[in-house]
Amino acid sequence: MLLIDKLCYQSNLRYVNAGEKFIYAILTLCMCVVSRSIPLAVLVLAVNSYLIVGRGGIAFFRYRNLMLIPLVFLLLSTLAIIVNISGTPLDAFALPLGNLYITGSFQSLRRGLQLILTAMASVSCLYFLALSTPMTDILNELRKLRIPALLLELMMLTYRFIFVLLEIASSILTSQKSRLGNRDLKTSLKSFGSMVSVLFIRSLKKSGALYDAMEARCYDGTIRVLTENHPPKRAEIFLIAFFEILLLLLTIWSKLQ
Amino acid sequence: MQMSNLTKPQKKLTAIAAGLALSLGILPAASAMHIMEGYLPPAFCIAWGVICLPFLLAGFFTLRNTVKKNRRALTLIAISGAFVFVISSLKIPSVTGSCSHMTGTGLGAILFGPLAVSILGIIVLLFQALLLGHGGLTTLGANCFSMAVAGPLVTFLLYQLLKKCGLNKKVNIFIAAAAGDLFTYCVTAFQLALANPSEVGGVGASFAKFLAVFAPTQIPLAVIEGILTVVIIIALESFAAKELKSIGFVKEA
Repeated sequence: MLLIDKLCYQSNLRYVNAGEKFIYAILTLCMCVVSRSIPLAVLVLAVNSYLIVGRGGIAFFRYRNLMLIPLVFLLLSTLAIIVNISGTPLDAFALPLGNLYITGSFQSLRRGLQLILTAMASVSCLYFLALSTPMTDILNELRKLRIPALLLELMMLTYRFIFVLLEIASSILTSQKSRLGNRDLKTSLKSFGSMVSVLFIRSLKKSGALYDAMEARCYDGTIRVLTENHPPKRAEIFLIAFFEILLLLLTIWSKLQ
Repeated sequence: MQMSNLTKPQKKLTAIAAGLALSLGILPAASAMHIMEGYLPPAFCIAWGVICLPFLLAGFFTLRNTVKKNRRALTLIAISGAFVFVISSLKIPSVTGSCSHMTGTGLGAILFGPLAVSILGIIVLLFQALLLGHGGLTTLGANCFSMAVAGPLVTFLLYQLLKKCGLNKKVNIFIAAAAGDLFTYCVTAFQLALANPSEVGGVGASFAKFLAVFAPTQIPLAVIEGILTVVIIIALESFAAKELKSIGFVKEA
């Protein structure tokens, strides 16, 4: 129902040690954001695309479609950065508009390009994590980071409920559609509203039922789950360390320039 | 005009334009305005995270006390988080035909109060990043401030204030929810402007530009969100008076 979640359970990288994947994704992401250098971004984008599509076995068109999700945000906000309205034309381009100019400079064009590539490389890091590590494994890694247990428990339950509620919502939406529930804007607003309110009522009922079920199974304030253990491989650790050192050097080099 | 009449660069241009138009048509155009992964410089990522921290801590401690007093609250809060996630992931009907999503946090703030929403909000934002590709991990702090703290706070305060003034309930909910949405959009534009000041005119000019480019998608969205929140609350009041009482939305008379 959630595409990313479904794909990540199918990925070939799923059983690689979760800590390795988590550390790799977060470190690479930090390097991208800190350095903001174009060569580093291109390198990260290439490596992550290879890892996701080549090693993970996610179909290329799915990966491409996912990468296009933030495209609109990216286009609009980059437009806002590179286009200026000013009385004096800047060096890259200038369109006269009365006595003002719609204009931009080479510096801001460069900045725009840098921002686009950094953002796309960062998104690829996010997708590497999301498309190879199921949420339960990520929560497990967060546990090691000493995030409060209450918060993690809350996240685990929330994650579980998302699918229950999505299923209810999608069956209500299907039956509304089959009864012309979104014939025009007014009906569709009304349908959406009634769907959400039914969803809310069902949610509260489900939450009560879940609590009863947990209590019947001796719930005492903590939820204990078994975790699968996939020990890290030495070669993988070595490769990750090598790559991160390379990125670090690139970052330092880009900052010195 | 036949395609064969076009010169090569013209053909290319047409193809690019068609591709762009097509991609804009297919894609989820106006999701609630999440700042994408990697878009903010590190100093801003950390600063926004630190600004959110007091709200999150307050939310967390309230939550812990509630759960200590009443364990049943844990599953209730978890399912409320899932509820906010689900309504924000569903496409809502829109005027322009492009698909858009609710933020859902305005509704959450009216139902559960702003402190609970701050903690629900950060969980929902994390799941949105990892499961939907909306927003990101480095921009979690900034998005949390605009969507889980600032917007819901405005909605909640405005709702309480207008309730005291004795305004018609439907109008009140509409104004509060739409204003919360608009405020989220302004805060996000401000966050982007602060990180990317314009060469001519600095942060102020940049703020105006960001407001302008996102206005066509965000203003209709705020109106739709306002209407939907009214429809939902009215429906809840007529079908689920008991449940609303249980979460404390309707005070027992």
